[in-house]
Amino acid sequence: MTGTREPQQEGPIQAMLHDAGLEASTELRRCLEELSAVVPDRAPAPRADLAALLALPSVPASGEEPLPAGVTSLAERRGRKRRLAVVSGAVLGAMTLGAGAVAASSEAFRENVGHTVGTIFQPPAVTADTAPKPARPSPADIPAAPVPSKAPGDTTAPAAADDPAAPGPVPVVPAEPGAAATPPAAVPDRVLPTPSQRTVTPETLRLPGSSGDRGIPAVPLPAPTFPGVLPVVPGQP
Amino acid sequence: MAEQLNDDELSAALAGDPSGFGAVYSVISPAVLGYFRARGVDDAEALTQDVFVDVLPKLANVTGGHTGLRTFIFSVAHARLVDYHRRAERTPYLAEYDPRDDSRYFPSAEDEMLSSLGGIADSLSRLNEEQREVLVLRIVADLSIEQVARIMDKSPGAIKQLQRRGLSALRELVTEKDHAAS
Repeated sequence: MTGTREPQQEGPIQAMLHDAGLEASTELRRCLEELSAVVPDRAPAPRADLAALLALPSVPASGEEPLPAGVTSLAERRGRKRRLAVVSGAVLGAMTLGAGAVAASSEAFRENVGHTVGTIFQPPAVTADTAPKPARPSPADIPAAPVPSKAPGDTTAPAAADDPAAPGPVPVVPAEPGAAATPPAAVPDRVLPTPSQRTVTPETLRLPGSSGDRGIPAVPLPAPTFPGVLPVVPGQP
Repeated sequence: MAEQLNDDELSAALAGDPSGFGAVYSVISPAVLGYFRARGVDDAEALTQDVFVDVLPKLANVTGGHTGLRTFIFSVAHARLVDYHRRAERTPYLAEYDPRDDSRYFPSAEDEMLSSLGGIADSLSRLNEEQREVLVLRIVADLSIEQVARIMDKSPGAIKQLQRRGLSALRELVTEKDHAAS
């Protein structure tokens, strides 16, 4: 603070005084030199946080330079562990990604996945599909069974129905034309009163059902449709 | 100033490399400390260190070489000073009684002599705030008109004007004091 003259300070101060047109004022010059002397020669000692910031370059360097005098540093091990964890994590992730990509690219896998996903998320729809399938075959089975039911409709059937149960309606139909004129009158009657016969056929079906197949009584409805058709065929000849 | 950053240190510091931070601190912090002292900051060293803690991690974004670096650091210092003065205005000044500060005593001849030597702070304190800031940045921080203009967010012409008026006012204060002393 004593205002000692520094030759390098003459420049700016002189220039300032020149700009202001005050070069002649020695007091002012001395005052400005005092002001420039406020700057200390040395930097202030840094406090802890600033020292840490300034020591950043020296910390990694010192970590390498001061070799342990009987002291082993754990930093390397720590780094190795971390590296191992990172590498294993990366390998696992890459394997999962690769396996997923391969699996997703094959069609069979995609179909399987689609199927399983469908079965998982639509259980009611799947049961609805499976349920009607058994219902369809049951009427297909029935046409064989109802034919014998016609024979019992004439009351002569019971014995004949047992025999042609497997072969079907063909043997039964010739038997009726063989009975001659009386049936033609009876045939139109049978065509009209089909509803009445429907009530009858279940009873007659129960009889063979009790004696033989139990699957037949399960579906009594298709039986009346066929009797309506069959009498017409003998009626034409 | 007495010391200058060499190109390696400067490029390291401006690349954000911590190896250049030490050189930047040792070269520029004295000027920052002098700047705060000249502006009457209580704990100028602490504020200087605050500035460097703030500035050093951001050096990677600085462009403009030596002048850019100096301008950047002093613009942060200027902002810190403005904050300091605002805070000081709001907080009441509390001080214990000190007999040497009691104005009812007549100052000794020795004290008068010392105060006249270090009286620049007193003279400066009588200047306009902006004039004072311009003079301190120009002389203590060793910055050019353009650098000061950037820091104070003014045009170079306005800075020149402030500098001229500040110097004139300071000269009057100094000659007045000299006349009073003699």
